[in-house]
Amino acid sequence: MPSAKDLQSLSDQEVVALARAGAESAYRELVRRYERPVFSLIYRMVRDHALAEDLAQDAFVKVLNALDSYRAEYKFSSWIFKIANNVAIDQLRRRELDTLSLDGSPDARTQEQIEATALQATDRAETPLAELEARELGAAIEEAIAKLRPEYRSCIMLRHVEGRSYEEIAEALDLPLGTVKTYIHRARHELRGYLAHLRG
Amino acid sequence: MIHKQLGDAELDATVVRALSRLPSHAPSRGFADRVMARVQLPQPSPVVLYRRARAWAAQPRHALALAGGYAASALVAMAFVVPWLLAHLPAIGFTAEWVAGRASGAARRGLLTISQRAASSGAADLLQSLSGGRLWLTVTALTLGYAGCAAGLHYFLRTPRGKDVPVQLPL
Repeated sequence: MPSAKDLQSLSDQEVVALARAGAESAYRELVRRYERPVFSLIYRMVRDHALAEDLAQDAFVKVLNALDSYRAEYKFSSWIFKIANNVAIDQLRRRELDTLSLDGSPDARTQEQIEATALQATDRAETPLAELEARELGAAIEEAIAKLRPEYRSCIMLRHVEGRSYEEIAEALDLPLGTVKTYIHRARHELRGYLAHLRG
Repeated sequence: MIHKQLGDAELDATVVRALSRLPSHAPSRGFADRVMARVQLPQPSPVVLYRRARAWAAQPRHALALAGGYAASALVAMAFVVPWLLAHLPAIGFTAEWVAGRASGAARRGLLTISQRAASSGAADLLQSLSGGRLWLTVTALTLGYAGCAAGLHYFLRTPRGKDVPVQLPL
């Protein structure tokens, strides 16, 4: 039975193989590796913390209960992002959630909940002025992302927030490579349009 | 407001940079546990059968029935076997001696052959010098040692068993 440290050094494919053999710790390792990126992707799609958590849970349960159908020739990350994206898109189609509240989740009732669900722009600024600018820009970007079409949103987040390659995004979203590049180009163009007021 | 006059290219670069700096959001505590509670772990079928059998036998009535059945079968077996043994004791004794002698001889010859083939090891001389009793003692000790090593190896390399596997990741 590999320890947690051993699991951390293994590739996704190797951890999946152990999970298929029934090792619970391997399942947990997969959750540990992908809970933040999957949750972030879904959260930025639906803009609601509680809903994003439910959807992320659904995505993980789907993935982990269907490990036997996972084909090792594809990247595990592509597979899990594909399922997470589908779960989020389905939800958006059902509820047509396309609004954004930078002041916190619409479900937040108390001040604590509002603060907890408010968007954090960035935490890497060098000076107070730079921090203010970065926070402003980050908040503006979040707001702009929320205005994008869902498919543009998925592409731009996987590319520039998660740092995935075009090929991986195409695999994850079941789109031709050219379409992915077009979506990202258009998304950036739209983002520039939404952020044009930042020119001063 | 950003205190810069941004051109198109610069704005694009700023957007890309800002995107890459967006923080990743984390689900609330216990997320992994909630996911795991809804995941069905695959279990090897012998484990499933063993668990079912153990759960069945753990019920008091079933346990009593099992113990009674075991005792009854032992009594029935003894009722047949003991008279038969008493009736055939001389023949059994002769046969047992004959089988033991043949087995002992064959084992000794086999071991000698193997050891002789181990050219210059000197093990053949040692084995030849052993009396019957000592030879058996040596063989038994070697067998037990080997079996112990096999059991240790099995324990060391045992396969994971579904939910029995302890959770080692403090999440």
